[in-house]
Amino acid sequence: MPKNSYLPWYFLPGTTHYYENVLLLNKHSDRQISQYPVVDHHFDAVVVGAGGAGLRAAFGLSEAGFNTACVTKLFPTRSHTVAAQGGINAALGNMEADDWRWHFYDTVKGSDWLGDQDAIHYMTEQAPASVVELENFGMPFSRTEDGKIYQRAFGGQSLKFGKGGQAHRCCCVADRTGHSLLHTLYGRSLRFDTSYFVEYFALDLLMEDGECKGVIAFCMEDGSIHRFRSKNTVIATGGYGRTYFSCTSAHTSTGDGNAMVTRAGLPCQDLEFVQFHPTGIYGAGCLITEGCRGEGGILINSEGERFMERYAPNAKDLASRDVVSRSMTIEIREGRGCGPEKDHVYLQLHHLPPQQLAVRLPGISETAMIFAGVEVTKEPIPVLPTVHYNMGGVPTNYKGQVITHVGGEDKVVPGLYACGEAACASVHGANRLGANSLLDLVVFGRACALTIAETGTPGEKLSPLKPNAGEESVANLDKIRFAEGTIRTSEIRLNMQKTMQNHAAVFRTGDLLKEGCDKMDAIYQSMEDIKTFDRGIVWNTDLVESLELQNLMLNAVQTIHSAEARKESRGAHAREDYQDRMDELDYAKPLAGQEKKSFDQHWRKHTLSTVDIKTGKVTLGYRPVIDRSLDQEECSAIPPAIRSY
Amino acid sequence: MSLLRVCAFTSKRLNTQLLFVDLSFAGCLRTASGAAKDKEPLRKAKTPQGRFDMDDEKPKDPLQKFPDDVNPATKEQGGPRGPEPTRYGDWERKGRCVDF
Repeated sequence: MPKNSYLPWYFLPGTTHYYENVLLLNKHSDRQISQYPVVDHHFDAVVVGAGGAGLRAAFGLSEAGFNTACVTKLFPTRSHTVAAQGGINAALGNMEADDWRWHFYDTVKGSDWLGDQDAIHYMTEQAPASVVELENFGMPFSRTEDGKIYQRAFGGQSLKFGKGGQAHRCCCVADRTGHSLLHTLYGRSLRFDTSYFVEYFALDLLMEDGECKGVIAFCMEDGSIHRFRSKNTVIATGGYGRTYFSCTSAHTSTGDGNAMVTRAGLPCQDLEFVQFHPTGIYGAGCLITEGCRGEGGILINSEGERFMERYAPNAKDLASRDVVSRSMTIEIREGRGCGPEKDHVYLQLHHLPPQQLAVRLPGISETAMIFAGVEVTKEPIPVLPTVHYNMGGVPTNYKGQVITHVGGEDKVVPGLYACGEAACASVHGANRLGANSLLDLVVFGRACALTIAETGTPGEKLSPLKPNAGEESVANLDKIRFAEGTIRTSEIRLNMQKTMQNHAAVFRTGDLLKEGCDKMDAIYQSMEDIKTFDRGIVWNTDLVESLELQNLMLNAVQTIHSAEARKESRGAHAREDYQDRMDELDYAKPLAGQEKKSFDQHWRKHTLSTVDIKTGKVTLGYRPVIDRSLDQEECSAIPPAIRSY
Repeated sequence: MSLLRVCAFTSKRLNTQLLFVDLSFAGCLRTASGAAKDKEPLRKAKTPQGRFDMDDEKPKDPLQKFPDDVNPATKEQGGPRGPEPTRYGDWERKGRCVDF
């Protein structure tokens, strides 16, 4: 029977067996944990998450001959990668002469010198080969007249290390690049023997002696617990946009991978770097293009005032994104927000001639009607700053292996890998450039597969695992399933989202962040008082949403505490009270004669955050940025400089 | 017991055979009357499935496809429809920004 058929687990021959564990009694009740049937599976590799990165890793491993399982809580083509409509950057050189080293420079500069240059070197060097590989898989890129892949100018890309003008590097598939990427990868993966475990919610990593030995997951369809034992586990679970009230991500972007790593006692990296966009539609989360303001649209507050004139007298509404986001947030904080809760502002377009709108911005009336329910030629659109991408995540090296920082040195965690938005390699550093994240998915998905193929062999015997491994996860699941507190999951989630939106969004100052930290700690404690309603075990969405809320909460507390601690402005993390970047040398002035600041005194370093699960206390550590490229002769590293465009 | 089963089995087969005969007979009638030559599509009942087949309420897409799918200005084949998505610095489609 082919392993890749969507049969229930009890039909899969040979790889599963029913295993009755004797687990501890759950202290919270007199229910026996042994009531939960646990099934053990043995695989050579397990991939958690089936988005762009997860699928690429899964079939890369299957292609290399590994018996691979892909555990996902969504059907692969429903992952959030499908919503990525932008393009993918690669220095193919089809429109003009191009060099991947120029792409490397642009990415390092875009990351505000917080990106690890070896990982960026790896990504930009592999980019042309990855795009050509995708095209060979059948991804229908748009073409030039000669039949080469058409590339357009996008996302801060330049030629000749910033001195040669705009570069054309962005390849796309009509207007559905992410959708096409996901379907191409999924279709390709069906050629190989990957076992898909769809709608299995991964609860935790099975760690023993600091080594990852697999994943424990919960089948949403029938409520059984599954332990996927493997020597290699790849985390590709995506970002955590849903910690904020307004985000572009799907409801399923809940940072499950980051939370699993945190619960395993490992650190997460750079979680305070969250990318915002100023004009996201209130309630829906879709972003309205800057072109609206470019064509004459204006932002107004509850008094009908064009408030951007006060914040940016010359550029007004055409000021840069971060200035606009901060101005909007200040207006909302000072009580001039619109709507019943005064938590957003309006984007007004009805003063423009409707004909001009229809010609210059076709489709905007449809978008405004569907997502905001407004007639754009008569009413303004409610907007507020919206989360789009998480630069931070599980720290890895350029090969995709998860690392911790022990005794001043990076140490690889055996058996654990991460790729995609969930990982922090770190290629995006403090700010992500447009069209680089799809590239990040395929390059590092492939890197994880290659590293596992290099360091292991298919069919290797697994080391023994304690028979009661994973019981805390099952105990937690049982506790949530029968939770009888007073506050509902949706209320706690809304509290968390509003707090994060008010305190840890674009506008960050010391007092606001400290207040937010205290509020978040209280909300974390309120999770003890959670109330769920559905006591069943089959397709219990109340239970799954509460587990997702636990994951979101871990991401949220780390984000806000890391942001509060970082006393500088770098990339997406901009603070009003510390407006400059604090590097080891002041790069705005001539370097000769300057004394290098010690590691504790400057901020050009990665934040590593860990959480004590019971108390919610966040502990922060730091690790240095990797400033060497993989090969100094092939591509010299870029020394830090002031970032200006 | 087994006799009953045999009877049930045979009757089922006969039933399906009768149905088959019925259908082909109806088909013969239609071709005879010339109704099958009708160019009009079959009117389906107003069931939800039937309603979806009638697409007279389909809204006109504001972004028109290029002739032969080739953008006349940039000569791009298979590219995004409508005006250039990156003209405002971000990737815009139908007023929505999808990447920046």
